[in-house]
Amino acid sequence: MIIAQNLTKIYKLAKQKTFKEFLPALFFGKKTTDKFYALKEINFEIKKGESLGILGKNGSGKSTLLKLIAGVTKPSDGKITIDGKIAPLIELGAGFHPELTGKENVYLNASILGMKKKEVDRLYPEIVNFCELENFMDQPIKHYSSGMYMRLAFAVAVAKKPDVLLVDEILAVGDIRFQEKCLNRIKEFQNQGTTLVLVTHSPSLIKDYCQKVLILDSGNQIFFGDAEKGVEKYLKNI
Amino acid sequence: MIINNLKKIFKNLKLFFSYRELLWNLAYREINQRYKQSILGYAWVVLNPLFQLLVLTFVFSTIFRISSYNVPYIIFLIVGLLPWNFFVQSLSSSTNALVSNSSLITKIYFPREILVYSTIIAKMIDFFYSVLILIIFFIFYKINLNINAFWVIAYFLIQLIFTAGLSLFLSSFNLFYRDIQYLLNLIISMWFYLTPIIYPVEQFPEKYRFIFSINPMSVIINGYRQTVLGGGEPNYKSLISIFIFSLVFFMIAFLYFKKQEGKFADYV
Repeated sequence: MIIAQNLTKIYKLAKQKTFKEFLPALFFGKKTTDKFYALKEINFEIKKGESLGILGKNGSGKSTLLKLIAGVTKPSDGKITIDGKIAPLIELGAGFHPELTGKENVYLNASILGMKKKEVDRLYPEIVNFCELENFMDQPIKHYSSGMYMRLAFAVAVAKKPDVLLVDEILAVGDIRFQEKCLNRIKEFQNQGTTLVLVTHSPSLIKDYCQKVLILDSGNQIFFGDAEKGVEKYLKNI
Repeated sequence: MIINNLKKIFKNLKLFFSYRELLWNLAYREINQRYKQSILGYAWVVLNPLFQLLVLTFVFSTIFRISSYNVPYIIFLIVGLLPWNFFVQSLSSSTNALVSNSSLITKIYFPREILVYSTIIAKMIDFFYSVLILIIFFIFYKINLNINAFWVIAYFLIQLIFTAGLSLFLSSFNLFYRDIQYLLNLIISMWFYLTPIIYPVEQFPEKYRFIFSINPMSVIINGYRQTVLGGGEPNYKSLISIFIFSLVFFMIAFLYFKKQEGKFADYV
């Protein structure tokens, strides 16, 4: 369950670019920052088991919204309530370290996602099986190709069923067969009650995987509601 | 207000405890990655302080002829220098702990202090290895220890608390203002000379000696020397006051860190 009430995020942008400009401004009590609304009064409600798609042009505030849902940054105003354990798939492999082996990275990344060692021990064969990298798990991942890297990262992230799964554009990586495998896994989770939050530029993905859609334009909420209707509206406005 | 703050600390400690495995994994990553592509590998952790020790001993016992109570100068030096190295290395790596993990900070939530603590733990493991040099020199010079040497543990814990507090401050300051990492080098080299590491307190002009009483590291290093080399009981009054000071300092740093934590992802 995710509820956003008047959710607003303001970033302060420095007005003066250099220290030479900044110091006099500070001294004479001028404004040193400009307000920038990354998100302005967003309202929506997603029930348990429903999924949300987020559409919008670049810079419309999609990633900021995901960060707020992930709890990485705090809202400037308003409130966001999330029920359950969140697994972010935002930019896969953020916690990977090139010098460590595949296996070591699995354990490290899993603990970043809040998993216990015992759980990882149990899930490890399944993770290796999913990413199909049996022969490479004892290699430092700096020798991995970028595709292998993404596969390993995805396998760790979806090893355990989360209550809320955040997905940001990542499905564009890997070959078609692996993409399908990932989407199937996501579908499985959805059937078991996981809430998916999907950010993408592809309206068809949203139609297939989400019941609700939120359309953003430079931080403003244009539409929230039924996915079919939302996608139609979005396509018309392009 | 104090009760509220204590509640907050307690609540955060519980959350931190649930992430303890991440702490070990990050510390392991830190240790493991460091010397991966070097031939001597982890031996550098011992070789570095060894050479530093030999050079300083040559300079200060042969050229400057600094008195060192009734033990060889190298023994006098090693007791102060190794804990000091641990202190400095913890500070300089934890200052960058948040900034260098920006990709994690902007993506996933977990208690951010873990990044700071894990670097300190990694440096502590280094420190324990470097203590091997100390043990070898102590055996070589047949230094006798008595039961009071166990007070070292108390002083070490105090040093750890103080280091953690200062690291929390420095890491979050450095996230907002990158000047801190450059400023730190300057401060550390000054701090080194104003702490009785290479010389005994008695050689410092008496009218400036008040500096030592307001310098926590000087109280701690004097504590090490007093109990290990002097074989005496610690000065209980200074032990308790430095303990209380470090603890309060840590709690203030922790509350500050937690208050800033929500902004980290926006500024990093």
